[in-house]
Amino acid sequence: MSELKYDVVIVGAGIAGPMMARDVAKAGFSVLLVDKKAAIGSPKQCAEGININVFEKYGIPYDKRFVNREIYGARIYSPSGYTAELRYKNVSGVILERKVFDKMLAFYAAREGADVWPRAEAVDVIRENGRVEGLKIKREGELLDVRAKVVVAADGVESTIARKAGINTYAPPHEFDSGYEYEMLIEGFDPDIIHLWFGNEVAPRGYVWVFPKDEDRANVGIGINSDNPKTAKYYLDKWLREHGISTNKILEVNVGLVPVGGFVKELVKDNVMIIGDAARQVNPMHGGGMAEAMKAAAIASKWTVKALEEDNLKLLQNYTEEWWREEGPKMEKLLKLRRVTEKLTDEDLDVFVQILGGTDLEKLAGGKYTEIIKALLKNPKVMFNRRRLSLLKELL
Amino acid sequence: MAGKKFRVVVNDDKCYLCGGCAGVCPTLAIEVGASKWRFIQEKCIFCNICVTACPVGALTTVPLEGEE
Ligand SMILES: Cc1cc2nc3c(=O)[nH]c(=O)nc-3n(C[C@H](O)[C@H](O)[C@H](O)COP(=O)(O)OP(=O)(O)OC[C@H]3O[C@@H](n4cnc5c(N)ncnc54)[C@H](O)[C@@H]3O)c2cc1C
Ligand code: SF4
Ligand code: SF4
Repeated sequence: MSELKYDVVIVGAGIAGPMMARDVAKAGFSVLLVDKKAAIGSPKQCAEGININVFEKYGIPYDKRFVNREIYGARIYSPSGYTAELRYKNVSGVILERKVFDKMLAFYAAREGADVWPRAEAVDVIRENGRVEGLKIKREGELLDVRAKVVVAADGVESTIARKAGINTYAPPHEFDSGYEYEMLIEGFDPDIIHLWFGNEVAPRGYVWVFPKDEDRANVGIGINSDNPKTAKYYLDKWLREHGISTNKILEVNVGLVPVGGFVKELVKDNVMIIGDAARQVNPMHGGGMAEAMKAAAIASKWTVKALEEDNLKLLQNYTEEWWREEGPKMEKLLKLRRVTEKLTDEDLDVFVQILGGTDLEKLAGGKYTEIIKALLKNPKVMFNRRRLSLLKELL
Repeated sequence: MAGKKFRVVVNDDKCYLCGGCAGVCPTLAIEVGASKWRFIQEKCIFCNICVTACPVGALTTVPLEGEE
């Protein structure tokens, strides 16, 4: 068997993997990107919503083939039906077609020189003298040894390669959301904004979403805490029933878990790096992980290229340092906020949705909430309620 | 919870191979390939986390008999 050698081998062609493969290959280094899926991007495990700014920020073409629908804002529904809305004049986000998006990201990587293998599963690390020298990869049934200077785990929520390489990415079940979604025909919801429903009976800890892909087609899904005794499917089907929405016009069923906490301290160990869901880099408030995966990939690529150029793998450690400096504080703040919001009763949710405007909610979801909390503390509905008061004070 | 030993079994007709159970398993006792769900008995610590986390309820447990 001929030996396969690369500068960098990356497991997982979701978002983080192909972005990093593209950037490292572009700098002239040899890269192999593998994914166990037979068709990169399929099946999707995502509601496909992303902020419009990522295209420019990360140099991704704004290609109509994967931009399904442009979105102008969001509406939030409280348990008793109060709403808060945020609407922009300009496009604020898009609903992607991830099956095309992920595949195109891998294509951009291939075009920059990376090798890309679908239906290739990393089954273990190659370890010699305590050092990870590469990966054992099963490609269409054939077991191959792939050696690389740098091994990158971008293997999503499973995060098995990092753990096999000795990086502890374990998080307790409460730090995950269980997600279930139908892409389906659905009518009666403003198709220019996303819709989110909150409530302890609606979606414990999480929310129900309608992310429009057409006037009358949307990703309709739910996320709930993974340690909930009932299933995400149970809650979504209940919500649809209660809203009189038929489950007989479904185009796809999508299933997946989302890490919503339990960030990993050690993002690099020797020559092994972890990026994206594998490193639990997801916004704990809304469960969006694509933008975070791109951010991590960008930082990891930068230091990988430097390390290879200077032939000094110690530089890889700078990825951990830079990620924690740039993203860490925001993510920790959001995690704190998530832990407080989990304790809210349905009545609290009604009250807060009534008091807060859409702009406030956007700031909350982005982790910039100190001013909002301070203002809330002066509201009579908070001021004279000892429990609400003490919950909010935890955030200051 | 822990104490009772069991085998985790998947209902292939319900499972979407999403990999979630592999992600929450503390001991890597579950491996999800592109076309196959696999349970590794020797690694299981009987915590039940995977069973509860599966979004569609595809996992159940079967008690192990004749064990110490
Ligand atoms: C129901 C649901 C809805 C969501 N909605 C949104 C949303 O609207 N917006 C948003 O930003 N985020 C959303 N997310 C989160 C988002 O999908 C993830 O954060 C994002 O995909 C993370 O990208 P990644 O590259 O880290 O991992 P992934 O996209 O999960 O990619 C990992 C890849 O690794 C492959 N892989 C795993 N193990 C191996 C192995 N051993 N060998 C080979 N290949 C392997 C997998 O097949 C997969 O393709 C949602 C998640 C779920 C479950
Ligand atoms: S979490 Fe459920 S659906 Fe997903 S792979 Fe495991 S058993 Fe299958
Ligand atoms: S019961 Fe616990 S240890 Fe066993 S497979 Fe499930 S999650 Fe893993």
